Amino acid sequence: MSDEIIQIETPFQFNEENKREFDELIGRYPVKEAAMLPTLHLAQRQEGYITPAVMKYVAELLELSVMKVKDVVTFYPMFFEEPVGKYVIRVCHTLPCALRDCKVVLDHLKEKLSTDVASETNLAKGTTDDGKFTLMKVECLASCDVAPVIMVNDDLYKNLTPEKVDEILEQLPN
Amino acid sequence: MVQERRILYEHLDVPNINTFDVFRQYEGYTRFEKAIAEYQPEEIAQMVWDAGLKGRGGAGFSTGEKWSFVPRDIEPRYLCCNADESEPGTFSNRYVLEKNPHLLIEGILICCYAMGIETTYVYIRGEFTLGKKMLDTAIKEAYEQGYLGENVRDTGLNINIYSHPGAGAYICGEETGLIESLEGKRGQPRNKPPFPAVQGVFMKPTVVQNVETLCNLPFIVGNGVEWYTQMGPTYGDTRFDPPKADPNTGTKLYCISGDVNEPGVYELELGLTSTELIEVAGGLRGEEVKAVIPGGSSAPILTHYELDTRLDFTSLTLAKSMLGSGGIIVMNETRNIVDCLLNIMKFYAHESCGQCTPCRWGTPWVRDIVQRIADGEGRQTTITRPKFGVTESGRWGDTGETEEIYEDLDLLENVANNIANVDTMTWNTICVFGIAVSWPAVSYMRKFRPEFEAAIREGKLVTLPVAEATVPPEENYAYQQRFIPKEFADL
Ligand SMILES: Cc1cc2nc3c(=O)[nH]c(=O)nc-3n(C[C@H](O)[C@H](O)[C@H](O)COP(=O)(O)O)c2cc1C
Ligand code: SF4
Ligand code: FES
Repeated sequence: MSDEIIQIETPFQFNEENKREFDELIGRYPVKEAAMLPTLHLAQRQEGYITPAVMKYVAELLELSVMKVKDVVTFYPMFFEEPVGKYVIRVCHTLPCALRDCKVVLDHLKEKLSTDVASETNLAKGTTDDGKFTLMKVECLASCDVAPVIMVNDDLYKNLTPEKVDEILEQLPN
Repeated sequence: MVQERRILYEHLDVPNINTFDVFRQYEGYTRFEKAIAEYQPEEIAQMVWDAGLKGRGGAGFSTGEKWSFVPRDIEPRYLCCNADESEPGTFSNRYVLEKNPHLLIEGILICCYAMGIETTYVYIRGEFTLGKKMLDTAIKEAYEQGYLGENVRDTGLNINIYSHPGAGAYICGEETGLIESLEGKRGQPRNKPPFPAVQGVFMKPTVVQNVETLCNLPFIVGNGVEWYTQMGPTYGDTRFDPPKADPNTGTKLYCISGDVNEPGVYELELGLTSTELIEVAGGLRGEEVKAVIPGGSSAPILTHYELDTRLDFTSLTLAKSMLGSGGIIVMNETRNIVDCLLNIMKFYAHESCGQCTPCRWGTPWVRDIVQRIADGEGRQTTITRPKFGVTESGRWGDTGETEEIYEDLDLLENVANNIANVDTMTWNTICVFGIAVSWPAVSYMRKFRPEFEAAIREGKLVTLPVAEATVPPEENYAYQQRFIPKEFADL
């Protein structure tokens, strides 16, 4: 993928705050490339997902080819290349959570949000029509003592039951 | 009843221990001050070696020995703290980061002093948003108090710590995967050698150390080697004459989850048994223990015959398993082992980084076979064939008996052993993720073979009673340690 082929409709740029944070970040590493993951996290927080424009911008900042950035973005599950809902719900389904009935929680969420579970290549499948939620399964969230657990954006919720899930969904601002 | 021995976790629940002022009231940073006031860097490294500290992140490699590989004449050197904690069943690092981040900083300071390191990166898994926030705040405080930055506490040392977020890939916990990821690339492990100690991040000598390992350092320095070595067993390896000391010293943050009444992190001296640990964790939820995974999902499973195996590095290696990350998952009599294996294989199939063909293709293949068995479509061939095994003459060969073939079970073992062979401990892959795949696959299948056979025979998952589901140790080579002689004894 050379830079010319990507169609970029609106260019992307960091806002003031993120620019400042980026300037601080870049000084931490002897080579610019190493700032890749934190920079992509900043960009994703600002834009919601990693668009081609974001990749081009990050490539320019870090003096790399866009291909290099794309290469990294596709490797890591936490970077999205498609739009996702306002709330990303991650349901852990690895063994310790499975032993504590995470399936009940997942099924309840599926029914409640009337959506399927997103796959890494098809996030739209798990996104509600109103664009509020994206439901996905993830691997162990390192909280197996309080299983089953889910994460809603940055927050972890523990020891879940369908009732608790209802409460959580209700108190989320629109 | 076994008592908890809280050292790393002693002050974990003190309110506001995450702030500098409260941490300071509990001897915070005094151990680092003692280190720089009383010892030369080399002396600290020697103390860590003498204390017998073994890495808590997975491999259990002697920390002092690892440090001795670092060439001290190449500048700069780096420390990477591994806070990627993603091994299923492990959750002890998270609490350190969220509740007591200054302890980690103090551990890092001691390591930096001992190794002459100026820059540390703490690689935190991307999902630990709270942990990263708490650590960042603590780092900021430490800078303000002069424990980090230029000329730390007027000693002329320059030490910087930066936190670095991961982005959801399990393989970035492998030390060279972590290094690649830190350099801003895909987290694909490197071929070794060269080992990170010689050529790591930015091609410079790098110490990679788990959070828990680093948190042990303040206590080794503060209380001395003698105090530290009194905790946990030290064995004598009788392959050497005189027997070589094999220390399993210190405490371990055992993470226990699954079918126990009070899952959680319990800090105990190394060397207690599964039975004791289950008791500490509020007892079993259910009637009977069916299986215990002793060291995170990568570790070979233990059956109810092995519950008195001591959970330390040496004993578990001899039992053909491993302590790994200390994530202990308990399963009671209602669990189906085929189902459990399916869950774990889905995890590995998802997390393979894709560099090596045996791992990239083999892992989903193993998953598909287990899926097929779980769906009741496992393949069975009913011809009988000569049974190979140890013959009367003591050699490997045709035993003169016959056995019934379950095609899919043979295939499962074959595919898994071609990713990494669990009997010879050789792997056809770049990193030991391959072993982490074939270890559970083969051990579950060998030790709980009746349950796999039943699923194939009946065409559906059948949960057998514990006694029937488990292959007894006498009949099975799954249990035996073939290549390490058994004559280890207590010194
Ligand atoms: C597939 C794989 C995943 C690993 N994940 C982790 C991890 O999440 N955290 C960790 O500390 N070590 C992990 N390790 C072990 C590291 O490679 C390395 O041995 C460890 O960080 C060294 O630190 P220690 O000596 O203090 O244990 C993993 C190893 C492998 C092969
Ligand atoms: S063994 Fe698997 S995870 Fe490890 S480097 Fe090879 S493909 Fe990647
Ligand atoms: S398995 Fe769900 S948090 Fe570990």
